[in-house]
Amino acid sequence: MELFIQQIINGLLLGCNYTLIAIGFSLFFGALNVVHFSHGDICILGSFILLILYGISQAAGLFNTLPALISIPIFVFTAVLLTGLFGVFFEKIVIKPFRLSPELMVLVATVALGIVIRETVRISYPQGSNPQIFPAIFPDGGFDISTLFIRYDSLIIFVSTVALISGVFLFVQKTRMGSAIRAISQDIEAAMMMGISVNITVSVTFFLGSALGAVAGILNGAYIGIIRFDMGLMGGIKGFSAAVVGGLGNIYGAILGGLVLGFVETFSSAFIPGGTAYKDVLAFLVVIFFLVFKPSGILGEKVFEKV
Amino acid sequence: MRRVSTTLTICAIVLSLMLIFSASGNVAFAKTVKIAFIGPLTGPNAAQGNGAKNSFDLAIKQANKSGNFPYKIEMMTLDDASDPAVAVSAALKAVSDKDVAAASGHWNSSCALATIHTFHSFKMPMVVWGAISPKITEYNYPEISRSCPTLVQENVPFAKWVITKLGNKKFCIISDTTDYGEQNTKAFSALCKKYGAEILSVDAVPTGTTDFRPILTKVKGINPSAIYFGGVVMEGALVRSQMKKIGLNKVFCAVSGLADPKFIEVAGKAAAEGTIITKPGFDLDELSGGKNFKAAYKAQGYSEPMGAYGIYAYEAANIILAALKQVGPDDKVALAKALRNIKFDGIMGRTTFDKNGQTELAPVTKLVAQDGKWVTWENSDYAAGKRTLPKP
Repeated sequence: MELFIQQIINGLLLGCNYTLIAIGFSLFFGALNVVHFSHGDICILGSFILLILYGISQAAGLFNTLPALISIPIFVFTAVLLTGLFGVFFEKIVIKPFRLSPELMVLVATVALGIVIRETVRISYPQGSNPQIFPAIFPDGGFDISTLFIRYDSLIIFVSTVALISGVFLFVQKTRMGSAIRAISQDIEAAMMMGISVNITVSVTFFLGSALGAVAGILNGAYIGIIRFDMGLMGGIKGFSAAVVGGLGNIYGAILGGLVLGFVETFSSAFIPGGTAYKDVLAFLVVIFFLVFKPSGILGEKVFEKV
Repeated sequence: MRRVSTTLTICAIVLSLMLIFSASGNVAFAKTVKIAFIGPLTGPNAAQGNGAKNSFDLAIKQANKSGNFPYKIEMMTLDDASDPAVAVSAALKAVSDKDVAAASGHWNSSCALATIHTFHSFKMPMVVWGAISPKITEYNYPEISRSCPTLVQENVPFAKWVITKLGNKKFCIISDTTDYGEQNTKAFSALCKKYGAEILSVDAVPTGTTDFRPILTKVKGINPSAIYFGGVVMEGALVRSQMKKIGLNKVFCAVSGLADPKFIEVAGKAAAEGTIITKPGFDLDELSGGKNFKAAYKAQGYSEPMGAYGIYAYEAANIILAALKQVGPDDKVALAKALRNIKFDGIMGRTTFDKNGQTELAPVTKLVAQDGKWVTWENSDYAAGKRTLPKP
């Protein structure tokens, strides 16, 4: 029984990661009707920024003066902030120029941006083609709940994902800026007429989405122990698929979609003999199933026409 | 119109100048013979590839210094990035250069299986330095020979050790979906049957998989005495570190796919502890030639360690050089033949090739990870009884 619960935890943690990426896709799609295909690479960019910050401070001997309990949150915060700003910057140079163009152009532009980010990381990081060991930013060990062993890192990942999602939800629902985001996602022209600055609102949306992506990249790096420059490719596709399964543009949908994918993958390798080799196949079959039979996703209201 | 003709004239002058320079270039370096080296210099197995590249480079440098050759020998370094498609284009680059007399290639069996056909159709002799799938030599191409043992040759003493000596009778197999993983699973399963061990589960994962917790949680429920890993460094290290994280305290063993310091680095010193593997060849420190090789490698100041296959790349280079010395660089067919019939006394003993071009020299060394290092089993605290592996 505890093994079954353990598998549920495994699926939940994978789902958390997909959810954090999927929320970004949903935010961007909601705000601008764009599918930001380099979002996965931005997530990995976040984890690489943390890696660089960590490397620099290790070389500078910062850890001797500052305990890890204080320094690591500072690094994570800085990396997330920087990635958010990168997200805003990329929106300005790659997505904004196409605001009035056909959707296909933005799509191609974001795919191209993804390649640029990926290859830049590969070329500029020393031995960037190789997997990099990710610093152990979480405490090792864990605690027992009767026979079940809960690791601290799993707990931190789960709690911070839930906290962030709730934070985003409150931000979007309760703040002035949040209503501006919702307003432009409903009708961008009407929102403009009401005096909402589209540029600022879009920038905030991209900051939010990219920062959440950076958190996803960092948590994933810490969970697994390594990062590689091209991990964002699959991560982005999975995150996007999660958003589509749940209903693109809907935050609850992103959560549901992330969990569906996480559980399908985990359970197919846990309970189907030899199923691990097919876990991606099964996960994407689920995606295809939704695209065919419920293209709006589990919670989506508007029909998703075409990418 | 006048402008066009001026441009054309300039082009013509530039072109002819280029021709002259390239021609004179050829004259100046007429006495250069190239040997191509192909290996994973980037990508997940870069550690293996770079160590081998340096060792190969060392052999070439030593040959040039020896004065045994009336021409300059140059190494052409090509990257296969562990990707069969990249490997084939690297092989095409090697065979299309007329100065290249022979090649040595690949650590990934999938790459070797992709390029041997290219080398065969261009009749270029190729010595495989690190890819250990038995299929490579099963084609019996006269151009292809291999200086390292196959994974079947390697699995035999491994299985004997882990099953009969260490007493592990129940295994869960995790491998990757590449040819290497598949062949390992096949070879080890057959040996399990032979030595009376049981296989409780088999899981194949695509390379690049990073989250093994679902499989390992399942394995925890199956409760085997040992986990056999039929893959390579990166996935192996992740499996090992995640085994520790979920509290799966069992013997973790593999053949030479994990024989690299990088495994311990990625898995972490504490998690890697007690991992048992075999590695083809002898411990270099036990051999006089091995010590010299290590010293020479160190003297060159290469930035990467030689890795488990450095010695094989070094031997492959020397085997090619020995054949080159016998028949010269010009006749590739004769060179391939000379390679097949060679009796080469290298660091690890006498290399001879069987009728398929497979080396008949196949010793293995048993290793265990102890305090963040691969230690020869016989010299380890585990063999001495000071530390114990998880009970079977």
